[in-house]
Amino acid sequence: MITVTINGTKITFVKPVTILEAARAAGIDIPTLCHHDALKPYGGCRLCLVEIEKVPRLQTSCSQQVSDGMVVRTETEKVVEARRAVLEFLLINHPLDCSHCDKAGECELQDLAVKYGPATGRFAESKRKYPENFEDPLIVRNRERCILCSRCVRMCDDVQGASALCVANRGSKAYVEPFSGGRYDCEYCGNCLSVCPVGAITSRLHRHGYRPWLMEREVATVCSYCGVGCSLVLQVRNNSVVRSVPGTDPGFNKGILCARGRFGYDCVNNGDKLSVPLMRRDGELEPVTWEEAITHIAHRLEEIKRDNGSDAVAGIISGRCTNEDAYVFQKFLRGAIGTNNIDSVAGLAYGPAQRFFERIFGQGVTANYVHGISNSDGIFVIGGDPTAVNPVLGLQIRSAHKKGVPVIVIGYPGGLKRFSKHTFITSSPAETVLLAALVSEVRQMKSFPGERPAFDEIISGLQPVPLKSAAEVGRFGLNELIDMANTLSNMTNPSIIIGRDIVQTSTGHMNLLFLAALAYLLNGKVYLLSELPNEQGLLDMGCQPDMLPSGRPLAIESFRKRCEETLGIVLPSTPGLDYAEMIEAAHVGKIKALYVMGEDAALSLPDTNYVRDALRNIEFLVVQDRFLTETARHADVVLPALSWAEKEGTYTNLERRIQLTRKAVEGEGIEEWKIISEISKILGLDTGYRDVTDVFAEITRISHIYREVTHDHIAGGKCMWPYGGGPLRHDAHIEGVDLPDIISVMKNSEAGGVHVRREAHLFHSQNASRFSPALQSISPEPYVKMSEILADRLSIRSGDYVKVSTEAGSITLAAYRDPCLPENIVLIPPFEKGGIFEVTKWKVNPLINVPVLDGSRATIGE
Amino acid sequence: MNSRESVLLKNADRPGPAGIDEYGEWGGYRSLHKALSMEPGQVLDEVKKSGLRGRGGAGFPTGMKWSFAVADPQTQKYLLCNADEGEPGTFKDRIIIEKNPHLLIEGMVISAYAVGAASGYIYLRGEYPKAKDILLRAIKEAYEKNYLGDSILGKGVVFHLHIHCGAGAYICGEETALIESLEGKRGQPRIKPPFPVNEGFSSKPTVVNNVETLANIPYILEIGGDEYAKIGSPECPGLKLFSVSGHVKRPGVYELPMGVTLREIIYTHCGGIRGDRKLKGVIPGGVSTPVLLPDTIDCPMDFFHLGKVGSMLGSGAVIVFDETVDMVKVCLRITKFFEHESCGKCTPCREGVSWLRAVLERMSNGSGRGGDKDLLTEVSNNIAGKTFCPLGENAAAAVQSFVNNFGDEFKEKIKSG
Repeated sequence: MITVTINGTKITFVKPVTILEAARAAGIDIPTLCHHDALKPYGGCRLCLVEIEKVPRLQTSCSQQVSDGMVVRTETEKVVEARRAVLEFLLINHPLDCSHCDKAGECELQDLAVKYGPATGRFAESKRKYPENFEDPLIVRNRERCILCSRCVRMCDDVQGASALCVANRGSKAYVEPFSGGRYDCEYCGNCLSVCPVGAITSRLHRHGYRPWLMEREVATVCSYCGVGCSLVLQVRNNSVVRSVPGTDPGFNKGILCARGRFGYDCVNNGDKLSVPLMRRDGELEPVTWEEAITHIAHRLEEIKRDNGSDAVAGIISGRCTNEDAYVFQKFLRGAIGTNNIDSVAGLAYGPAQRFFERIFGQGVTANYVHGISNSDGIFVIGGDPTAVNPVLGLQIRSAHKKGVPVIVIGYPGGLKRFSKHTFITSSPAETVLLAALVSEVRQMKSFPGERPAFDEIISGLQPVPLKSAAEVGRFGLNELIDMANTLSNMTNPSIIIGRDIVQTSTGHMNLLFLAALAYLLNGKVYLLSELPNEQGLLDMGCQPDMLPSGRPLAIESFRKRCEETLGIVLPSTPGLDYAEMIEAAHVGKIKALYVMGEDAALSLPDTNYVRDALRNIEFLVVQDRFLTETARHADVVLPALSWAEKEGTYTNLERRIQLTRKAVEGEGIEEWKIISEISKILGLDTGYRDVTDVFAEITRISHIYREVTHDHIAGGKCMWPYGGGPLRHDAHIEGVDLPDIISVMKNSEAGGVHVRREAHLFHSQNASRFSPALQSISPEPYVKMSEILADRLSIRSGDYVKVSTEAGSITLAAYRDPCLPENIVLIPPFEKGGIFEVTKWKVNPLINVPVLDGSRATIGE
Repeated sequence: MNSRESVLLKNADRPGPAGIDEYGEWGGYRSLHKALSMEPGQVLDEVKKSGLRGRGGAGFPTGMKWSFAVADPQTQKYLLCNADEGEPGTFKDRIIIEKNPHLLIEGMVISAYAVGAASGYIYLRGEYPKAKDILLRAIKEAYEKNYLGDSILGKGVVFHLHIHCGAGAYICGEETALIESLEGKRGQPRIKPPFPVNEGFSSKPTVVNNVETLANIPYILEIGGDEYAKIGSPECPGLKLFSVSGHVKRPGVYELPMGVTLREIIYTHCGGIRGDRKLKGVIPGGVSTPVLLPDTIDCPMDFFHLGKVGSMLGSGAVIVFDETVDMVKVCLRITKFFEHESCGKCTPCREGVSWLRAVLERMSNGSGRGGDKDLLTEVSNNIAGKTFCPLGENAAAAVQSFVNNFGDEFKEKIKSG
């Protein structure tokens, strides 16, 4: 026990804390500037000096720890004098331009100067002068206002791990600058901006358009960019989102946001958003009334159902839709149309991967806390760069690496380049061989946990693959590989982080089996990266052709019957088509009507031309979206939807955390679930929902994993399913898992040629970022990354335009030389135009039903 | 000049550095042999008994510093030699390195053995390229003779020595800033605690000693700690190098026992003031130490006594001013130095010292204003006691000492301006 006396008040602590923490716990305010809760003590600003009995010098309370019997005084004459002196020093060079500084009103220096500072200055010299820097598209830097607290630099180094900023020069000439000079060359997390106590780093997005006291509302909500679901606060004025900031209640992202969360909010205000329904007349989309549009949709769907049967209708939903939207959508298709033809983007990789793991280990096996990653004793990343797909989750890996946890990355490391012990980049089939070899290796070093004898048997039945073969196929150094295998075998509770690139391949089913084996043998936790905010929610809500809400298979009759009874409707019993099958069926004219909710199929599937043809082939295409997307351009009816900031609802993140999205501004469209309810009503199924809580209440009645959850529970931010403690499926049914024929994969992988692989891109993630001018402005040009060897051979310099051709098509892209790539790999990110999907041939892996990306070899150059 | 044969300044008056053979002929590396025949704890005890205090400026007892590092349970430890000699007026470490590099190397190997460090770095001032070449050659020689390496003298003792050159920042002479710089980071001081002896280079226990401190170690081993403690002042005994510059007849580096008076240094060893002018003031230990008036020059030069007259021994860089010197200009020059060398981490040093310089500059230019003398006092008082590290503290103390001791001159400046 440590008892400390601060200003006469005795406080006792169990663990050592700093004087500042102790004072705050006692409700005593000590002013600070360089201190930030997310950062380590720095002791630079000297504002928090306090007097400690028997210590001659004043001490900084932010760095000094309390000890038993310590007597601290925070308001003595000496302390107050020191505080005033420090503030005077800070103000001698700080411009007094508060009238037009964006920080005014929330500036820490301004507040402190008012509270403690001298009323007049004695500094008679001229202040330091620097021009304000506007070279960056998103961030304005003002060196004159900077007080060198270095919070931005420390945030960038210690928390974000980007190390993009530095203090340059010395003493009174010191200043903060990106290493890249004028423009930032970084991840644009903007966390430097959120920790800046003054107006030295400000956002261009709301320049001179933001005054904290003029904000009408602050809405605490959840980010809608990816499956991590960070808490953030939208600040609103004149029905417009003026700014997004990390919440004051730090949420589980602890006050950290990524570029999308911080700057991507401008897609809400994007002027191109749809405001009225559009209907195709004489080949053109023309504005119509809501009533016209909805009646037309209902009648056309009814017609098609009558003439071609219910299964001629299908629905696809986006991972950006809420649980409520998703639930009503599947209920509509099943109850009102009578088909199980329902799937979502989650059906392209996230869903099949989860299904595979649940099949072996039971439901919820991939439900793991994001914070658990940095506490594991090893990290194995495969199938995508987590710092681009789920950036805030990616930070966990970086922080683990800093703690000395070994990180292994298979695939392009992207933002983990400086944060991994081993990195192996190769072609997709060679990755499979590598996984097979790793399983063989780990198998030799570890005994079976014995929990799942059936799985033990499968693993025993796998063909042993020597590391040497994997080294040959993957063109790796054997010693390096042996080293990595040893690192891996030594892990006892690793985090295995899996991205979609390992699933969307011809050998995806094998990869999943090997990864399951590794997870099993190493006692690993599996994380599935999720590119969209509610992929998990879509699965939970039953937006799958063979699953009902709460992940219950359609085939289990008892559950189907119970659903039918609860809802008073009849559910079709034969499984429907999944996403890939729908596109193929559309291609051959078997799908007559397709209802697309928020999804841009034309841009999220491989082989853009093939998908466009399929969409053109659909007799009646309805698209409900915020913008006239590529898919919407093919539609017969387009309905304006609402963005996440314009409606209420819930998202379920990749951890299974159920979170509320709150309405911040009024939109011009109608909530997705409401539109569907209207159509459903005309088709004879009256859902009777008055508002979103009615929908949610029904979800909690139907789904045992959402049982007893209410919006009030969720608001606390700690609501994980299964909430009511409902039982999860443990019906592992591993029999029937095909043992992979690794020999043929090895043969395939030996075939030469240049493999085109996807690079997950932080600023180009699915369709929302396409409508954020801010995110688009950071790196607007599509590119192809290639190895130095290949570039040299073809005499290509960075910045040259090169043609990339495959059997699916060809595109011309700016070249980018990346020394860490092997010769036979080029990377193309999924840009809207000039993205990877334009050069990937349509091919489906029939064993997990996902469209694959590894079908084609590319030719580079003319 | 003194009866004792030079220890630290051996070879100083000859051209070129002493090679390993020459060093051996003088009995070099004999102390290392002796040390390795003892237990590390016994070596440490000898150093403790010697009463040796750090020669870099702060005067921390060397044996005590070592014992903290020894007590830390971590096994990987480092020994760093602070050769970032940057204190204006100081040129003593350079002469050791350039004339007798093996003395430093031997001192380091013995020290590393005592503290249990298997590797060490010499953080060398960037402006000492010649010293670097000399050290590199000497280290190579020491490796060849098995005084460095994986089994020193075949006794299984491991010590590897590397050189790292600074990039011109005075602050990197501060031990935690030195460590930051050595780790490849921006050179600025760290929060203490943790102290380097527990969490230093690469977060491992690290002993940082000055060149001169380490160069004393072989001699302590040779004559024994008790014998060494008999040299000079009883409070802080030992040999001390004094770099004397300014208006004396014979400026230079002098090896003298601790406790010698300033008067002796100036008038006996250095032959008195140039042109037999009157002494106006003297800085006893480099510009970081407050200036003294002529009436205090009978004070013994050691860590203990100089504190009593309001100054410090610092690095032992004696800067002598005769009666012709404009003390406002000296004060401005010193403040400019501190302004230039402030790392910018803490507010009072970064902003305050540059403010002091601005005021002194205008006084010096003849455009001083009424109240400027008081302003100097107030601003330096506002810096004092609030800075992160001693740099800003010393800058303020320097100005305070000049204003206090030569106040009339400052007043005169304003009037004449």
